Amino acid sequence: MGKKINIWYFSSFLISIVVAIPIVTVFSSFFETTGNYSLILKNTFLYDYIFNSFVLLTGVLILTFIIGVGCAYLVSFYDFPGVNFFKWVLILSFAVPAYIYAYSLTAFFENYGTAFSILKSLFGEGNYNIFIPKFDGMMGAIISISFSLFGYVYVLTRASFHYQSQNLIELGKNLGFSKKKSFFKIILPSARPAIVAGLSLVAMETLSDFGAVSFFGISTLTTGIYNAWISFDDLTLANRLSFYLLIFILGLFVLENLSRKKAQYHTPSKGGFKSKTLIKLKGLKSFFAFKFCAIIFFISFLFPVLQMLYWTIIFPKHLIDLNLVELFLNTILLVILSSIVLISFAFISNYGNRVSRSKFLEVLTTFSISGYAIPGIILAVAFITFISWFDNNIIDIFGFKTIKSIFIGSIFGLVIVYFIRFFSLASNGIKSGYLKISYSIDESAYLLGYSKFKTFKNIHIPYLKNSMLLIGILISIEIIKELPITLIMRPFNFETFATTAYVFASQDLLEAAAAPSLFLILIASLFILITSKYILKD
Amino acid sequence: MTKNFLEINNVTFRASEKNKVNNVSLNIENEGDIVCLLGPSGIGKTTILRTIAGLEKIDSGTIILKDKVLSSNDSHIEPENRNISMAFQDNSLFPHYNVLENIKFGAERNKKKKGIEIDDLIKFLHIDHVIDKFPHQISSGEAQRASLARALLSNPDLLLLDEPLSNVDQSFKEEIQVKLKQILTEQKITTIIVTHDSYEAFYLGTKCGIILDGHLKQYDDPYNVYHFPNSVEVVNFLNRGILIPAKVTGENSLENKDLGTITGNFIKHYPKGSEVKLLLQPEDLEHDDKSNLKLEVVDRKFRGTNFIYTLKTESSKLIPVFVHSHHIHQHEVDEKFGIKRPIHIDHIVCF
Repeated sequence: MGKKINIWYFSSFLISIVVAIPIVTVFSSFFETTGNYSLILKNTFLYDYIFNSFVLLTGVLILTFIIGVGCAYLVSFYDFPGVNFFKWVLILSFAVPAYIYAYSLTAFFENYGTAFSILKSLFGEGNYNIFIPKFDGMMGAIISISFSLFGYVYVLTRASFHYQSQNLIELGKNLGFSKKKSFFKIILPSARPAIVAGLSLVAMETLSDFGAVSFFGISTLTTGIYNAWISFDDLTLANRLSFYLLIFILGLFVLENLSRKKAQYHTPSKGGFKSKTLIKLKGLKSFFAFKFCAIIFFISFLFPVLQMLYWTIIFPKHLIDLNLVELFLNTILLVILSSIVLISFAFISNYGNRVSRSKFLEVLTTFSISGYAIPGIILAVAFITFISWFDNNIIDIFGFKTIKSIFIGSIFGLVIVYFIRFFSLASNGIKSGYLKISYSIDESAYLLGYSKFKTFKNIHIPYLKNSMLLIGILISIEIIKELPITLIMRPFNFETFATTAYVFASQDLLEAAAAPSLFLILIASLFILITSKYILKD
Repeated sequence: MTKNFLEINNVTFRASEKNKVNNVSLNIENEGDIVCLLGPSGIGKTTILRTIAGLEKIDSGTIILKDKVLSSNDSHIEPENRNISMAFQDNSLFPHYNVLENIKFGAERNKKKKGIEIDDLIKFLHIDHVIDKFPHQISSGEAQRASLARALLSNPDLLLLDEPLSNVDQSFKEEIQVKLKQILTEQKITTIIVTHDSYEAFYLGTKCGIILDGHLKQYDDPYNVYHFPNSVEVVNFLNRGILIPAKVTGENSLENKDLGTITGNFIKHYPKGSEVKLLLQPEDLEHDDKSNLKLEVVDRKFRGTNFIYTLKTESSKLIPVFVHSHHIHQHEVDEKFGIKRPIHIDHIVCF
């Protein structure tokens, strides 16, 4: 079809513009003057922020690589007791946000914490605190973030291993490669794009983490942004710091995109793909494989769940005090509203792109969805900056009433920022569904007398309804866990499980944070279980 | 009021800057005519169909169907409003509907117009065993036939078929061709078929268009396209004959140094003494074991009903010769092969 500016094109264009607002705001901070705090920061903490961010990133990448690739390799190539169970329970780590993991880690290993109590009940009174390792500060943050994020590397690498043809493995055997040589020369390099893609996602999430690093008191660029805004009331500086972080993240984003393109050669063709025969492990090797997966499952999921459950049980008062119904309804309200908004607009945007086939629109959409790479905290700050600017410069001029209260500290504003943050997830999900529908199917519909709207309604929506459901659930998992945006944008006294847990934890009331954390993990786990089949497949 | 059913006037069909067919003018005179477009892959045949269907726009010229301007540089009727159906080469069935539901989409379009019965169509296209299956569960040939059924059922003013039988098994390809022609003729469905199979085009088409080097090189009856190709490019594309050097020696004769005198009727006048390239087609030469004109056999193709021998002349030209497969004996490679003299060709085509 020829390029045409129609309602679909216009809608898609408008959606991209809205999603791009924070990116533009962050970039525009370069043309504004900052407060005195920027000078102080430059001479004092800025290098600490960068150094800490770098150390954190390196530590997390190494750990997630070892755990993610290790687990994926074992469950994809070997047959050992429990392999089918581990295949999917290992993705449950997605249900545990890094900040809740951090609470669990601290609660267990702190002086007179859970580890101490266990030792005491087993061996009686004693000075066990000196023997219990302390996972706080940088080490705690690296562990917490790694165990909550390794799932990205695991899922993508596993998919890549899964689609690796048996022919490839047999080729290695024909060439006389040992198992070790096959792994390093064939299996690992051909899964490289998937591993890099997984690590890039981990890197983006790590750099944008706020909950865990602030809990452990580590100064990173993300906490720096928060401080610049909250403590020094310098929005411009917060945006400028965001800019530095964004450049870093965009670099990773480009890397991830490039590697994803290369990953195409993993796509199995109908004739060429031969599924693998799993190698049956026996004896010690089998035990080792089982132990490795069991330990990772225990540390990444059971440990935080049991720790939170333990505290919930021994401090029932906090559970009773908790307004569970309200928290649940608030969380579900956000989940439903955001899912509807995100899926609807992602659909419209994708269809607009499809119908118009405009290069410009495609570039604009790609640019705008890089919002996923922007930490939630930056998005929230940038959105507030934009609304303030718009209110002061546009609304004020026309003498209208201020719009700040509509967008800031409201459910509406919160959903908009969620929309910007997770639009990429929804849009890419719909897009991958659309990639399976060839253009000739649309054209066939037109030639059978269907209008564009009718094609959209009668052909696309029914076909993509499973994708929509899957995306809806993935969005729900993200929103249930989301912390910084909710914290900044929520209406006064509006609490979710995530914010309640954070508020208690930040007041050093970890035992009170247990119950909301537990419920958060359980709800997210439920959603993950529903979608596990799809997550593992795609 | 135009006198033709479909008129394409000076249209440049453009898929991209590189891939375009320039300045095409083509008419379909009568309702129910079948036009076949032939050409090598990637030349722009599909683009022509897509443009007529309204899936691509044009910058110049006009496309007029039943006196209605469908496309011009300043107007464009959307595909859904043209009542033109198209069966795509690749699988364009709706993936979430089964084959029968897909086919019924065609029947829904023109409910009032009485056309072919759905059950008959399913049967003759040999897809009755897959009607409950989904597109991903059937072969590409079956998908292509289902797509063809859907297009046929929609009773369009103009039907466009893009390589409709390219994935269909040889075993029932001919049967489907026969039935397809019968339906199109009986239902008076005006059709444009894109194909790279010249036999299919010659059989189905009322007219054939040859597209080469970005142009519609020839648009004529199938017989004329084959026997009276209007350019060397068309000869090379149809790839049935070869061009050999010859000198015009009279009103009805010419001379080739390997074959000697050749007589026949020139379709175009050349002055005596002209140096020309003579088109020799496999059926132009006759085999004669007793002839003293002997050429060396370099290849022999068995085609079931016939053999095509490739013979090498003294000047190393390779000439194809058609021989009935019930011919009394076969000639092996390197043997000598006699050509009947005098050589007489019914119509002499030269360039």
